[in-house]
Amino acid sequence: MNQYASLLIALPLFGAFLIPVLKKVGKNLVMPFLVLVTLIQTGIAAWVFNEVYTSGKPIIIMAGGFRPPVGINLYIGHFAALFVLIVAVASFLMAVFSIKAVKVEPQDKYAMLFLLLMLGATGMIATGDIFNLFVFMEITAISAYALTAYNKTGEASEAALKYVVLGGIGSSFFLVGVALIYGSLGTLNMAHIAQLASMINPTVAKAGLALLIFGLAVEAELFPLNAWAPDAYQEAPHPITAVFSAFVVKASLYAIGRILYILSASEGWNSVLSLLIIMGTITVVIGELSALRQTNVKRMIAYSSIAQVGLIAVGIALGTQKGLDASIFQMFNHAIVKLLMFLAVGYAALELGGPEMENFKGLGKRMPITAFGITLGAIAIIGIPLFNVFWSKMQLIMAALEAEKIGVVALILGASLVEMVYYVRLIHTIWFQGDGDKIRENSALALGMLLLIAFIILIGIYPQPFWDIMQKAGSDIFNVAEYIKNVPLMGVSP
Amino acid sequence: MNPYYFASIALILIGFYAILAKRNVLKMLVGLSIMETGVNLLLISVGYVSGKSAPILTEGITPNNAVDPIPQALVLTAIVIGVATTAMALSVVINLYEKYKTLNVEEIRRLRG
Repeated sequence: MNQYASLLIALPLFGAFLIPVLKKVGKNLVMPFLVLVTLIQTGIAAWVFNEVYTSGKPIIIMAGGFRPPVGINLYIGHFAALFVLIVAVASFLMAVFSIKAVKVEPQDKYAMLFLLLMLGATGMIATGDIFNLFVFMEITAISAYALTAYNKTGEASEAALKYVVLGGIGSSFFLVGVALIYGSLGTLNMAHIAQLASMINPTVAKAGLALLIFGLAVEAELFPLNAWAPDAYQEAPHPITAVFSAFVVKASLYAIGRILYILSASEGWNSVLSLLIIMGTITVVIGELSALRQTNVKRMIAYSSIAQVGLIAVGIALGTQKGLDASIFQMFNHAIVKLLMFLAVGYAALELGGPEMENFKGLGKRMPITAFGITLGAIAIIGIPLFNVFWSKMQLIMAALEAEKIGVVALILGASLVEMVYYVRLIHTIWFQGDGDKIRENSALALGMLLLIAFIILIGIYPQPFWDIMQKAGSDIFNVAEYIKNVPLMGVSP
Repeated sequence: MNPYYFASIALILIGFYAILAKRNVLKMLVGLSIMETGVNLLLISVGYVSGKSAPILTEGITPNNAVDPIPQALVLTAIVIGVATTAMALSVVINLYEKYKTLNVEEIRRLRG
């Protein structure tokens, strides 16, 4: 019965292959089909989530019935079940938004690439094999390159070129890391690597781990490999921008966390943690300071997104279970808030003719629900109490205090202060400047925004049940011994 | 120590240099391809054992005198992915040349800040 969870990978793939056939039948069917597939995916993901959280046991799917480490396995534990659900829900909302936002032809190619992007992110989260992780990462990356260039303007191509070059460097680094680890341990399965981790040569472990993290840092937008991100965010179609921020980045961050912790038994592991803390800190500083001087709202929120990613990476690199839990909470909250903000900003930009700050004057009077969405997202991301991000930032600070990293506490508080400055400026522009006629807002999109807003406030007021889920997801990554025990390795032992 | 490691690392560094130093977009992509080739060679050399033959079951070949097949399978996948990335990049470059009428990265700079 549990093997049906493999539909999470199979459904988007078959959906993508069906689209050219569907286009022959009727051109207008493509976008509704995209919405339908993402809706079914959400259903399956919800079922998997329910299954994993009620039984408390991970779902393990072995490709072709070969047991790992010979075969490739998918591992859907507490973390993967939660984030596969987020990927599916975000895809569904953005597929609905795509009907309104994507008018450039060829729409069938857009739908195909969208499904492949969703497939890649789902696979990255679910896989239990580092080379398989590489393959899913490249599926995500190549669809992301193509979608960045989708609008066919010069700027979009420029953004895509930067992304391709950096992505190519990153994937080469990743493969060198895989080669090093395979060369010294002779296995690619994550559980098997974790089992053998204490035997690995410390230098190889350090170099291999650093290279893997550098490879994943391209998609995860960590400094110094994030130069593509603001351009791609600015030039990609609006739903794709939201999708990048909501789950493509999160899938890569998860992969960083997983790979980091399966090698936690190796010597010299702490120096890799320090490397990740430094990368995360620089990412936060550069992201926040660049966001301050943007006049393009989409680009500004993109820089804010990069800064948040830096905070999450720092949390992962604290090396404690608490830090990891807090990071996952932050990932979860950030996905919801950025989904709301990019949806609202994209929709406003569509109606007003561009995402420049100038156009946003008087938005509060013209499109009240959209303006409310942007405002609430901005307030939540700053970390005001009674909204969701407050709790995750709080937990991050507590985790940093527990790990005795006072610098991290200062970083989080300082980042929130800078965020306050530029978001208050945006809110001021929206509500207190300019005037204009009211525009009738699309009811489906308004409903989506209101749902996300309700969710943000719900987590803000009742954080405890969500925090419990995050702690389970965190221990899924942190508790490596449990992970090894759950994967049925083929009678191999160190 | 395997001599193939040095060759492959040299190729990776040459490719990396080309990406960082060249101003022409096409030369950068050539550099990317060289880098990918170097990585593939590195992967293949990880599984190489001197004096053993390819892991194809024919007469006289047993698991004992064949090389490790996994790196070879990995490299095949990596090559296919590399080709896809290159094709994608080249189509972006075509579009870029139509819009900017140049291949110099110094001049392709409308997005900044």
